[in-house]
Amino acid sequence: MSNTKEIIARNVFFLSAIASAVMILAILVLMIALGIPLFKAGNFLAIWTGPWAPHKGLYGIWPMISGTLWIALLATALCMPLSLGASFVITSLGGPRLRRMLGTMVRFMTGIPTVIYGFVGIFLLVPLVREGIGGPGMCVLTAGMVLAILISPTMILFVTDSLLAVDLSYVQAAKALGANRVQRLLYVMVPRATGGMAAGIILALGRALGDTLIALMLAGNAIQAPRALLEPARTLTAHVALVKAADFDSLEFRSIFACGIVLYLFATTATVAVRVMLRKREVPT
Amino acid sequence: MQEVLEKLAVFLSWTMTLVLCLCLSIFLIYLLIKGLPSFGAELIFGKAEPLKVLLGQARVFDGIFPAMVGTFFLVLLSAVLALPVGVCSGIYLAEYASPVMKKLFGSLFDILAGIPSIVIGLFGFSLSIFLHNHFSDRFGPCLLISALSLAVLVIPYIVRSTQMSLEELPSDIRRTALALGATRLQNIAYVLIPNALSGISSGLFLAIGRCAEDTAVILLTGVVATAGVPSSLLSQYEALPFYIYYISSQYSNPAELSNGYGACLVLLGICSVLFMFAYGLKKHLSYRTLYRV
Amino acid sequence: METKDKIIVDGVSFFYSSNRVIDNVNAKFKTHTLTAITGPSGQGKSTLLGMFNGMWNDTPGARCTGEIQIRLGGRWVSPLKKEIPMPLLRRKVAMIFQEPNPLPMSIAKNMAFPLKLAGIRDKNIVQEKVQRALEQSFLWKEVKGRLEESALNLSGGQKQRLCIARALVLEPEILLCDEPTSSLDAKAAGVIEELLVSLKSNCTLLVVSHYMDQVRRIGDQVMALEDQGLKRI
Repeated sequence: MSNTKEIIARNVFFLSAIASAVMILAILVLMIALGIPLFKAGNFLAIWTGPWAPHKGLYGIWPMISGTLWIALLATALCMPLSLGASFVITSLGGPRLRRMLGTMVRFMTGIPTVIYGFVGIFLLVPLVREGIGGPGMCVLTAGMVLAILISPTMILFVTDSLLAVDLSYVQAAKALGANRVQRLLYVMVPRATGGMAAGIILALGRALGDTLIALMLAGNAIQAPRALLEPARTLTAHVALVKAADFDSLEFRSIFACGIVLYLFATTATVAVRVMLRKREVPT
Repeated sequence: MQEVLEKLAVFLSWTMTLVLCLCLSIFLIYLLIKGLPSFGAELIFGKAEPLKVLLGQARVFDGIFPAMVGTFFLVLLSAVLALPVGVCSGIYLAEYASPVMKKLFGSLFDILAGIPSIVIGLFGFSLSIFLHNHFSDRFGPCLLISALSLAVLVIPYIVRSTQMSLEELPSDIRRTALALGATRLQNIAYVLIPNALSGISSGLFLAIGRCAEDTAVILLTGVVATAGVPSSLLSQYEALPFYIYYISSQYSNPAELSNGYGACLVLLGICSVLFMFAYGLKKHLSYRTLYRV
Repeated sequence: METKDKIIVDGVSFFYSSNRVIDNVNAKFKTHTLTAITGPSGQGKSTLLGMFNGMWNDTPGARCTGEIQIRLGGRWVSPLKKEIPMPLLRRKVAMIFQEPNPLPMSIAKNMAFPLKLAGIRDKNIVQEKVQRALEQSFLWKEVKGRLEESALNLSGGQKQRLCIARALVLEPEILLCDEPTSSLDAKAAGVIEELLVSLKSNCTLLVVSHYMDQVRRIGDQVMALEDQGLKRI
C-alpha cells in the first residue's frame, strides 16, 4: 500500500540530492576535458606560471592569477578593519537601537547587486582616483576598494555570528568580575571566536576571488601582472568573461578553461578551509 | 598602556563603522541623485505607448522594458528548475541521510555554493556549445541555458535553507504525527514541510534575488544588448543587470547614461525587496545560506 | 474483566551512544489496567515509554536489547524487532506527551488528522469517530459549537484533552502517557486524571508521572524506575 509511496518518495529525494551533487563534479570534469588541448599544446607548467603572449604562441595565465590575487587580497585587507570594527559595534559597543539599525543596514547591503557597485564605481570612484591619486583610474586600487565594500557584509555577518555564539556564561562571569563592555569583548569574546572570525575572513576572501563584475568594470582588464596599486589588471574571472567565442578551437579560447580550473580550486580551498576552521570552533575549549 | 589599547580599539571600531556607513550613504545618495530624474514611465517604455507595449502591439527600443521582461522570465524559469530539486535534496539531507551521507553531501553543497558564478556561467556556455555541436544547430546560448546555469548557482541556497529549517523543528512537532501513526512521508508532507515553510520560502527569495542580480552567469550564456522580449526558451534575451553593465561601457549619450542610473534604481529596488522578504520571513539566516549573498 | 497480559517486557536495556540508560528491565502489564511509572527525573522514564511504540527506531545512536511483546488484536508483536510497520503499531499504541501538542489547525482538523493518516476519508465515519473520541475525553460539550476554531486557542487542559481525544480516535489498545499533567494547573490535572482512569475500559494505560500522590491515586499498579531498573512498589 502506502509502502511503495514511501520507497518512491525516498528515492526521489535521494536522486535529487545525487543530481545536485553530480553537478559539482560535472563542472570540474567538463572544464578539464575542454582544457585538454591547451595542456597538450605546450609546456604544462607554462600555462600556470608563464606570460601571456599570443603572438609568440604563449598562453600563460599567470598575469590573470596575479591580478586576481592582488585585487582580492587588497579587498580583503581593506575590508578587515571595516568589518571587524562594525562587528564590534554591532555585538557589544553600540546601544540596542544602533545595533538593530546596523544589522538591518548590513543585511540590506547583501542585497545590493554587484553590477550596481560597478556602475557607481565607474562614474564616481574612477574619476576620483584618476584626478586625486593619478594613474588611469581603472586599476587594482579602485577595484579593491569597491570589492572591499561588496564583501564586507559577508565578513560582518559571519564575525558577528561567531562573536555572539560565545557562551553567555563566560561573558557574565567577566561582567561579574568587573570587566566593562570593551574588556568583555576583547578578552572574553574575541579570543573564543577566533576560529569563526578567521572563517569569516576566508569566506570573504573567497568571495573576492570569485567576483567578476567589479574587476571587469573597474580594474582596466590589461593583460599584465600588476606591480603597483595604480596599475590596471585583469582577473581570472574577467578573462573568462571577456573571451569571445569566435574560434572555439583556438588556444586563446581554451585558456579560459585553465582560468576556470584555477578559480574552482581557489574556491574549493576557501570552502574547505572554512569548514576546517568551523570544526575547530565546535570543539569545546 | 592596556587602557590606551582598549580606548584605541573602541575609537577604531567606531571610526570604521562610520566609514562604512559613509561609503554606503554616498553610494546610495549618488545613485538617487543621478537616477531619480530619469525615473518614470519613459524609463521603462521609452517613446512607445505603455498600454500597447503591455498588449504586445508595440516594441520598446529605448526603454528597459525588454530587459525587465527578460529578467522576469529568467528568474521564473530558474526558480521553477531549482525549486523542486533543491527542496527534495534538502528533505533528503534533513530527514533521510545517514550522518556520513549528510557530511558528504554537506561538503559538496558548500563547495557548489562557493564556486564563482563565472565558472558556472562557463559551464553553461560549454554546455550550449556541446549541445550545438552534437545535437542541433538550434542550440546556442539562450534563455534556457541561462536559467539552467542560474538554477545550478542557487540550488545550494534552497537545499541549505530547506535542510536547516527542517532540522531546526523542535522534537515536539517532529513526533506529534509519528505518535499518531503517520508514516515518514506523511509526517514530512503534513507536518514538517508546513512548519518549515517560512524557512524554505526565505531560501527561495534569496535564490530569486541572486538570479535577478547575477550578471556573470548570463554574460556567458545568452544575454545580449538588444533582443526585445524573448520569444522562446531557445532565443536570446535582455536582462536588467546586463543592461546596466552594457550602458556603463557603451553609452553614447547622456540620456542613455541616465537610463542606466534609472535601471540601477529599479534593480536595486527589486533585489532589496526580495532580500528583505527573505530576512523578514526568517530572522536569523545562517551563514551557510549567506555564503555568497 | 479480563486479566490477560497485554505487554511483556523481558530483559530490556537501552543505550544512547555508549551510555546505558535503562538496564535489564522486566515487567508485565495486564489488559485494562492503569500502570503508573514513577521515579526520579533523568532516569529514563520517557525513554522506556518510547520503546513501546518504536519512537527510538529511527534515532541515530539509540540501541535497545531484550524483548518487548505486545498483544494487539490477539497477536503478539514485538516493537523492537520491527515485525510490524511502525505507523501501524503507533495507531494501536498511542502516545500523549508532557506538552500538549495540537497541530496549528482547527479542532476538527486536528481530530480528523490521524484518520487522514490512516487513509479513512468517508466523511460520516470521520464525523462519528471524532465525536465519540471527544465525548470519551470529556471535551465534546465544550467544543461542539466551535470545531472550526483553531486548536491553539484552547486552554492548556483542553489542549491536553484534545490530544488525548486525537489519540483515541483510532481506537488504540494501549495509551502511553508521558507526564500528561505536569504542564497543567491542579484543576486541569484533576480532570485529566479522572479521564485517564475512565479510559481503562477501552485500553491499557501506562502513565509516567513524578507526582507520588497522583501515581497512588490513579494506578492499579505502581512501578518505580530507579538505578536504571524497574521495581514494583
